[in-house]
Amino acid sequence: MDEMRRIQVLSPRLANQIAAGEVVERPASVIKELVENAIDAGSRRIEIELEAGGAKLIRVRDDGSGIAGDDLPLALARHATSKIGTLDDLEGVASLGFRGEALAAVSSVSRLELFSNTEDEPSAGWRVVAEGREMASRISPAPHPRGTTVTVRDLFFNTPARRKFLRTEKTELNHIEEGFRRLALSRFDISWVLRHNQKVVHQLRAGEERVAREQRLAKLLGQSFLSNALHIDMSATGLRLWGWVGLPTHTRAQADQQYFFVNGRVIRDKLVAHAVRQAYRDVLFHGRHPVFVLYLELDPLVVDVNVHPTKHEVRFRDARLVHDFLFSSLHKALAEVRPNNARDSEGERDISTQEASSQTSSQPSWQQQPMALREGSSSDSGSSAFGYGRRDSGGERPAADRVHEFMAGYRALHPDHESALLNPQEAHDQRVSTPDQEAPVMTSGGVPLPDQVPGEAPPLGYAIAQLHGVYILSQTTRGMVIVDMHAAHERITYERMKQQVHQGRLDAQPLLVPVSLAVSEAEVERAERERDAFAQLGVELDVAGPETLLVRQLPALLARADVEPLIRDMLADLERYGQSDRVTAHINEILSTMACHGSVRANRKLTIMEMNALLRDMERTERSGQCNHGRPTWIELSMNDLDKLFLRGQ
Amino acid sequence: MKFSISREALLRPLTLVAGVVERRQTLPVLSNVLIEANGQQLSLTGTDLEVELVGRVELANVDQPGAATVPARKLMDICKSLPDQSEITFIVEDGRAILRAGRSRFTLSTLPAAEFPNIDEGQGETELTLPRGTLKHLIDATSFAMAQQDVRYYLNGMLIEMRNHLVRTVATDGHRLAVCSRSADIALDNPHKLILPRKGVLELVRLLDDSDEPVTLILGSNHLRARTGAFTFTSKLIDGKFPDYERVVPKGGDKHFTAERSELRQVLSRTAILSNEKYRGVRLNLEEGNLRVLANNPEQEEAEENVAIDYSGGGLEIGFNVGYLVDVLNVLNVEQVQMTLSDANSSALLEEPGGGDAMYVVMPMRL
Repeated sequence: MDEMRRIQVLSPRLANQIAAGEVVERPASVIKELVENAIDAGSRRIEIELEAGGAKLIRVRDDGSGIAGDDLPLALARHATSKIGTLDDLEGVASLGFRGEALAAVSSVSRLELFSNTEDEPSAGWRVVAEGREMASRISPAPHPRGTTVTVRDLFFNTPARRKFLRTEKTELNHIEEGFRRLALSRFDISWVLRHNQKVVHQLRAGEERVAREQRLAKLLGQSFLSNALHIDMSATGLRLWGWVGLPTHTRAQADQQYFFVNGRVIRDKLVAHAVRQAYRDVLFHGRHPVFVLYLELDPLVVDVNVHPTKHEVRFRDARLVHDFLFSSLHKALAEVRPNNARDSEGERDISTQEASSQTSSQPSWQQQPMALREGSSSDSGSSAFGYGRRDSGGERPAADRVHEFMAGYRALHPDHESALLNPQEAHDQRVSTPDQEAPVMTSGGVPLPDQVPGEAPPLGYAIAQLHGVYILSQTTRGMVIVDMHAAHERITYERMKQQVHQGRLDAQPLLVPVSLAVSEAEVERAERERDAFAQLGVELDVAGPETLLVRQLPALLARADVEPLIRDMLADLERYGQSDRVTAHINEILSTMACHGSVRANRKLTIMEMNALLRDMERTERSGQCNHGRPTWIELSMNDLDKLFLRGQ
Repeated sequence: MKFSISREALLRPLTLVAGVVERRQTLPVLSNVLIEANGQQLSLTGTDLEVELVGRVELANVDQPGAATVPARKLMDICKSLPDQSEITFIVEDGRAILRAGRSRFTLSTLPAAEFPNIDEGQGETELTLPRGTLKHLIDATSFAMAQQDVRYYLNGMLIEMRNHLVRTVATDGHRLAVCSRSADIALDNPHKLILPRKGVLELVRLLDDSDEPVTLILGSNHLRARTGAFTFTSKLIDGKFPDYERVVPKGGDKHFTAERSELRQVLSRTAILSNEKYRGVRLNLEEGNLRVLANNPEQEEAEENVAIDYSGGGLEIGFNVGYLVDVLNVLNVEQVQMTLSDANSSALLEEPGGGDAMYVVMPMRL
């Protein structure tokens, strides 16, 4: 080295360019920053214009509050923002941005022009650009309607290294579209336009009703997403989860189409991913990924978004509570997927027909009530002739039972939340519904409840024949259903076994010779701390030394399992997610194998009566849409589908 | 085979037998009628594999006994259009059937009689007889309520229940239900319940008349056979469990009113004209001494009728498919009709005042 390097203050442009390295990765990230500003400005309409995949031009126009003329010099300066003022604001941040560096960063790596106006009078607008090493702002009057337009030209023109990393126009556009999808899904009350090379890519109308929202969903993610999704909406103690989750049969090879919003901010979070994965366990086919668009709403004070500059990660103040809430809500929603729900999977949910039908809906629609026809003898009656009474009173009970069960477990794990989570009153308010139809009553504890509207033909219809000893053909009101008899029976057996096993306490088996485990000190400490959690799961641990644990007792069903990895995984889970379901998972695996061997196999001849009994069982069983391995158990061909095959009515 | 017969003697059994034969067939022999001439008797058989009907006629003379099958509908159409009192000569030779009457001659194709299917007769049969009029009344009073091509296959027919001194028929399509019972001079060890398919019901009732002549019923495990003088009817049964109709009959309705049956029927039929064509909904407004019937359709046309009724009690508004009410009033053959309601969501019971042999339950519509 020739000369001694001296410490110097970086020029603002260079400092900003370094910041840009974190925030501005590609055109898509510029759009994200600009649009988030537009959203924070309270815009109702946001237009995005692109050229050459955003490399040449990005223009974001909004009709928000605009920036006051006097503030404009600051708008492009680093660490300047109107969104927060004090540390307290930061702790409860409700806006998408708050770091005050986006515009500065973007303008340091591109030719950025900003027009803004806070008045309704167009002539009151201003234009601002930042120039030179010092990034001094130059302001001049310019006409502009109320709102802000930011134009970003020639992104990375001064950072060739970054420019080299830009991909083809198409790839960049794909990234932008993906980002756009997230933004458009985050705010249904804003109308959006995305143009590329003067062509409209997406145009979305604002609308807060469910129909409008689902229209947007269908436009952004495809009709197939919508017709295979359940709408959910649940809340408990300050947490609300709503949105759409894909049916376990509608999965993707990649983990795309997974959108999770926390207070309107899209995130990709490990905790959330884990809760979702757990909820989909044993209904998902191996290697497939579920799809979902979910919105978690909670008090901004209990979530910390200042974790990462791109704000894709968040920290929940109470991670356990959130994890449990997510898991239990989704698990419950998926468990209720039964043949009944799938009934409206097409037609009714088709957007176009919905629009058409809404015109005629002003006319009162008559609805013929069916009779409560039941098979069987008359001797067991005694209740009202129509059975409605029984259905109404028994309706919510099993769901509430499950919540109780969950709460009991939860309290044992976390005594400090006792009062907070899920008191039964609120549990009653929880609902899952598919679009247009309320979820049916579910069964628990093997008590068969009337699981369909009395008097109507059952959703899986009546068996007609058995095909090659493998499939059951059944005629339904809408068409036909083909059932994989082994897969269906396997699920029924499995759910029954699970219910029996998990109903009572887990039977524990003390070990004659305790198994000693060499673990880290931290793990020993954790085991001490979580002793109750382990006990609840039938595992008894003793500390035998600073780095040794003794396993004294295991759940009876796992007596022959490999102890060491199980305990290690449990410890890791408890650390990361605040709870562990490894024991349940292992037990379920064993039950699954038992169920597989205990179910009817292919080539077993069934009589019509046996087949009908199986169909009725399926209608009652949770998650009966898939077998334990995630394969579908039945498919439906409606008369429409069949007509299409034969070109009827075309 | 060769025989001669008068047009009139042939036509009645032929028409009934041909009624069983389906117009379109995938199995050609099923569109034929089996003709057998034997001794002094001619018998005609038609079947669709579910229902079989055999008609018999005495013949003065069979020139040559034999059996053959000929297209049922064509044969019937020919006989129908021949002049009255024609004498028909029927000859089968070389696989052709030749029919002569007066100066007309028709040659029909035939299929061998051996190909003609017959319904197997089961074992363990119980036999009993009823007056034809009784059975006809039981069927007429309930058959309109049978379901048609419902997925719940057991509703596409009529439940016939027989026990000591009692016969009962029940039909329902899930929206309305009809029950009719009559006492009869029968003795059975065990009560019998069977579901006769829709087509069987409609064919059987054509054989019956209002007379006190007997019809013999033979109850098999999977079929029912009915024998009147000249006809033998056999139908397969629906293998299924009929819903428990007794639980559907409402008990505890507190709003009873009686009305003139024919007047009410006319009121409803008129109102129906302006009801929604698809849903056929009408609103009944029950007031003291008066029943107001209202209907309107998507074109905003409206009908309102008032009919005097014998009623004192609270008001009620309830919606019905008008067709279901009119069906009941059509078959209820009495001067006065009594209707029992409880609330807008519960079913209505229609019957003869004081309760006759028939009961009708109709589910309301929700507006």
